[in-house]
Amino acid sequence: MLEYYVIYQNLSLMKKNLLMPTVGLLAVLLLFSCIKDTNFDEAQNIALTPVVELDLIYFNVDASEFFDSINNISILTLRDTTEIRFLDDTDFQESLIRAEFQFNFTNSIPREFMVDFQFLSEENEETYVIGTIVNQGTVQVPVFTQFIKKVEGEEILQLTQANKVVVSITIPSSDASLRGILNLQSKTTYYLEIKDRG
Amino acid sequence: MRIISVLYLAFGLSVSFAQNKQILYGFEEVPQSLMLNPGGKVPQKSHFGIPFLSQIHINGGASGVSTFDIFGKSSVDINTRIRNKIFEMTEKDFFTVTQQLEILNFGWRSFKDIYFSGGIYQELDVISYFPRDLAILAWEGNRDYLGYEFDLGQVSATGDLMAVYHFGANKKIDKKWTVGARGKIYSSMISFKSTKNKGTFVTRLGDVDSPNTYEHIVTDIDISVQTSGIASLEDTSVGKVLGRALFGGNLGLGIDFGATYEINDRWTASGSVLDVGVIFHTKDVEQYRATGDYTLNGIELIFPPLSAGESTIPYYDNLEDEIEREIPVDTITSGYTQLRPVKVNAGVKYSFGKFVGGEECDCYNKGLERVQSVGLQYYSIIRPKGPQMAATLFYYHKLFQFLSAKATYTLDPYSYYNVGLGIATDLGKMNFYVAFDNVLYYGNIAKAKSVSLQLGFNFVVDQE
Repeated sequence: MLEYYVIYQNLSLMKKNLLMPTVGLLAVLLLFSCIKDTNFDEAQNIALTPVVELDLIYFNVDASEFFDSINNISILTLRDTTEIRFLDDTDFQESLIRAEFQFNFTNSIPREFMVDFQFLSEENEETYVIGTIVNQGTVQVPVFTQFIKKVEGEEILQLTQANKVVVSITIPSSDASLRGILNLQSKTTYYLEIKDRG
Repeated sequence: MRIISVLYLAFGLSVSFAQNKQILYGFEEVPQSLMLNPGGKVPQKSHFGIPFLSQIHINGGASGVSTFDIFGKSSVDINTRIRNKIFEMTEKDFFTVTQQLEILNFGWRSFKDIYFSGGIYQELDVISYFPRDLAILAWEGNRDYLGYEFDLGQVSATGDLMAVYHFGANKKIDKKWTVGARGKIYSSMISFKSTKNKGTFVTRLGDVDSPNTYEHIVTDIDISVQTSGIASLEDTSVGKVLGRALFGGNLGLGIDFGATYEINDRWTASGSVLDVGVIFHTKDVEQYRATGDYTLNGIELIFPPLSAGESTIPYYDNLEDEIEREIPVDTITSGYTQLRPVKVNAGVKYSFGKFVGGEECDCYNKGLERVQSVGLQYYSIIRPKGPQMAATLFYYHKLFQFLSAKATYTLDPYSYYNVGLGIATDLGKMNFYVAFDNVLYYGNIAKAKSVSLQLGFNFVVDQE
């Protein structure tokens, strides 16, 4: 008991002198707390690699659209354009590694078609083009044609310069009696790599 | 750099459980313990916190992941580690950052033996739940998740920056009871809130009637964000934002109350309820709300007959317009009322050992304390997805007249291994305290899922 009291008294006397040791101890504790076995440089290797499936365009073209019944003349090529504004977006340009187009045609018109997809830049300059032949079918037995196009490397750079696509459908011949429908469904798979490019 | 910043925010801030100050609760040698229980026991005659230094509180945490989990040296690719964590975590996991800085804190005992205290502190409190489905969508894309309904309602976050003015009273009303209450005026500088969101997004293969390969369907979406003090931020100087701290912001009112009951000279029970209050956001308010349903099928070309030079249908613009029509984003500038996150503390303490001063005496009647105690504490805070709770086991020892220490072991959503340590010293009239938790991780803070630190300096005049 007495012993405790003496120690206590001594410590009380020392208490002012203990300020520095206490602060010192805390400082040491704070200094020795650390973050180790870590490698924050690895942050630059972080990359999101989503694979995105997205519908592209679709259409249903009736055989009658290839013939002008008023003037009684064939219309051999139908053409239409739509913007795809995200294609030439800077972030998208940097992140797109590969793209895969899938075009599914169902043709009940007894004609073979030539279908082109011409990608144009904002200034209407062609940057990339793909095309395919669509097999002929009949109204009774529509024929399915699939066209898959993988785009990578240099072609990706060309594709992502564009912000619109012109679709041209060319028929070799037509007349007023032509029947059937050309249907397209399409989608694109975008393989992205999103990372810090400094 | 943007990704790094986001990831740093998400995983890197390693500095307890948001706002749980389990070490300071009931630690009577620290005047700031009164902030955690206005009905706590107050040993001193008066105190005056050193301005800006009386309490510095920093705490950050993530319930499901530590810095080490992501950035630890490992032979596994960092992206694989992140992917594994995304799948391991749930939408109930969260990230928090809380910081408080006391600008002023003072208290004195009046002649009627009421201890009055008051002050001003600044508080930053941010919590974001982990939007797991969105993280999966961003990380993986939708190709491998055809037919899976991504839950957009998992987005839930709040953030507040405010100044708090408070004044309270505390009195030992009889031998057993000490009670207290504190009124608060909140001056919100910046606030945002996006909770109670709902909606799903799914990509599925189209059926025979679908016009295109897929259907991208957003169903029953209702996503809102409430902000105040943010809309004018772009043309506001830092000075003006700080000006809002001086009652210039959106004001609110709240109360804290608490009590301590000394069952006998060994057992004590205490409890407090903090921040029962509201902030009325009326100035500089912007609320955004998007609602609706939409199915995207891509763009339909109709090959209209065109004359030379005539431009075709603006399909893309039409699509954008259609989406905006189906899922309109309304901007509302009317005010809103925000409830403060209510915190509840409770504790039970068993004291033992010698009485302070070492004398054997009938000290209980003199109001003296024993030098050691052990006990249990409970803490909860109301958060957007329900209350978060923590339980603490503690040991307290008044080592010397001028030095007390408290050790805690806390179970909370972050971990089962949270050991905390706090010391308070009285050197003359100068009181200094420091409290930090996750001591076991002190050797490598990167492995801790949360760290909390409080420290401060006060002038304290003891009771005669």
